[in-house]
Amino acid sequence: MDGFIHALSAVTSWQILLAAGGGVLWGILGGALPGISPSIAMALLLPFTYDMSPLMALVMLGSVYIGAEYGGSIPAILIRTPGTNAAAATVIDGYVMHQQGRGGEALGLSLTGGTIGGLFGLILLATLTKPLSDLALMFTPPAYFALGLLGLSIIASVSEGSMVKGLIAGVLGLMLATVGTDPLSGVTRFTFGEPELLEGVHFILVMLGVFAVAELMSKLADNEPDDLVKPDTVSKLVLPSLSKLWSLRRAQAIGCAVGALEGPVPGAGGTVASFLSYNEARRWSKTPEQFGKGSEEGVIAPETANNVVTATALVPTLSFGIPGSNSTAILLGGFLIHGLQPGPLLFSTNPDILYGLFGGLFVANIMMFLIGIVILGPAIWLVNRPRPYLNASILALVFSGIYSINNSIFDLWVVLAAGAIGYVLRVLKFPALPLILGLVLGYMIESNYRRSLLLTQGDHAVFFQNGVSAFLMGCAIVVLVLGAYTEFRRFRREATA
Amino acid sequence: MRGMLAISGVLFALALAYWLGADAIPKSRLGGMVGADGLPKLLAVSLGLLSAGLALQTLLEARKRRRPGAAPLPASETADTDWSGHAKAMGVIGIGAGFVLLLPVLGYVVSVMLLLIAVTAYSGRRPSVQTGLFAVGGGIFFYVLFVHLLKVPLPAGVFATLFSGAA
Repeated sequence: MDGFIHALSAVTSWQILLAAGGGVLWGILGGALPGISPSIAMALLLPFTYDMSPLMALVMLGSVYIGAEYGGSIPAILIRTPGTNAAAATVIDGYVMHQQGRGGEALGLSLTGGTIGGLFGLILLATLTKPLSDLALMFTPPAYFALGLLGLSIIASVSEGSMVKGLIAGVLGLMLATVGTDPLSGVTRFTFGEPELLEGVHFILVMLGVFAVAELMSKLADNEPDDLVKPDTVSKLVLPSLSKLWSLRRAQAIGCAVGALEGPVPGAGGTVASFLSYNEARRWSKTPEQFGKGSEEGVIAPETANNVVTATALVPTLSFGIPGSNSTAILLGGFLIHGLQPGPLLFSTNPDILYGLFGGLFVANIMMFLIGIVILGPAIWLVNRPRPYLNASILALVFSGIYSINNSIFDLWVVLAAGAIGYVLRVLKFPALPLILGLVLGYMIESNYRRSLLLTQGDHAVFFQNGVSAFLMGCAIVVLVLGAYTEFRRFRREATA
Repeated sequence: MRGMLAISGVLFALALAYWLGADAIPKSRLGGMVGADGLPKLLAVSLGLLSAGLALQTLLEARKRRRPGAAPLPASETADTDWSGHAKAMGVIGIGAGFVLLLPVLGYVVSVMLLLIAVTAYSGRRPSVQTGLFAVGGGIFFYVLFVHLLKVPLPAGVFATLFSGAA
């Protein structure tokens, strides 16, 4: 009941309404711009949330995530260029519908499916997070250490490319996290006499460098041409009627189910969910032959799924403090910069924040529907702006936002260095997410590792003696062994082919 | 293949340097059983082992490709390294570095205008009245947003000193 009151007070607060509306607007526009992923849109906003109240900041970041997933479908349908990875499945039928002169209908299906998916995901988030958090209350320092390792192992092994590269990126992230003053003894580590490094390398600087600056560098290196939408080809968004929605209930149910199952799995994310739900919708459709030829089910199923994921992906982040994707890692960053540690204690220490966040995300989904109806024109205008102006504005925004955090020139150098490192990682096909996760989880992993050994006079067996910790360590080992085995099998198969 | 072997070597060297750095961390009684150097040393060993694993994986892949009838490498793997593309990407860092160096001297407004015009031109837009207006408009927009609305004390640079001196 208290939770409901917290959520209600959030949805009736004008600051939260403003944060949700602003976040959704920024998210839709960011998602509509090919090259700005939901995580980049969130990262660009992160520096601005410093001076906001924690709840306002978190609702705004969560709303960007929600808005961006819908925004990604706009260029996917209109110019066959998904604005986000998760919108790639929408291209298949959405663009065909647009060619058939039904682009407005496709956008309406995407918006409605996304709103339904988002609200469904939110119900799951609100019901699953508390029981899982209660489970996490049984965690002791060895269990937290094992949980951190498990999170990192999963992300490293499911990352694109080789598992070894994923693990190397994770270790590099942990190494970065050791820079600065040791929280236990107070001695300095790897600061090279630079006072600006005493507080360590802030993950926001690395996130903006690795995501935003490196993305800009990749775009310039690839010399991507501008894809333009002819403004006269889409007059307005056409919302589906209730009877139409009812006729598409099977595809929506599949999208909801797939999003519910995929969302909490670290590394899976909206992209896997949208393709999987597209496939399943085709398998269960009465008209599978229509898929690829402008099927309405082919648009609504993936769009529903990827918006369910925007909520269900938050389950492990809020319950255990372990993010499973770039976007949730940035949301975790939003918690940390306001001195909040997601996990079981948050329900007892800051229930207003958690339930307020649920309320705020509910508002964001409703706002997405309302703003989505009117934003089409400005979004098309924005997609049609020459890319050089966009590149310049992004870099100016990154630098200005970063400087505003600490008023520090040194931070700008760190962002540039992180951008260069992020670009090199991309070129060499090393995944960036394990690096970010290592940096974000570094403190949790190290402090719990050392605390555990302090309690047991240095006996490493502690990690296998505690039940929860032993289970999590076992899971981490299984994940790594399975990952290595999968790679070995792929290697053998290719060798004998 | 050679490139990835070189990367493995670089990572191994990094692991070694990181170990030496960890070894040089001052010891403290407050550090607990493990000490401030405990995890860093563990990470150095892990990175060393993983870099060796990467080298081994690369060598095995290369051996597999040399076998008769082996599947050819994907086009993306065999294509010549796009050095000009990488150089162009690194140009962004160069422009960024220029901005950071100029920021305390020229101040925020002028620096951000120069940044906007530089990135626009670098992205392939020919300098014109339109790009000039974009830079000036953008500079004013960012100045109003950060300095006036968000109250961020961004560097004013020499111009502020000149004007205050004149006044």
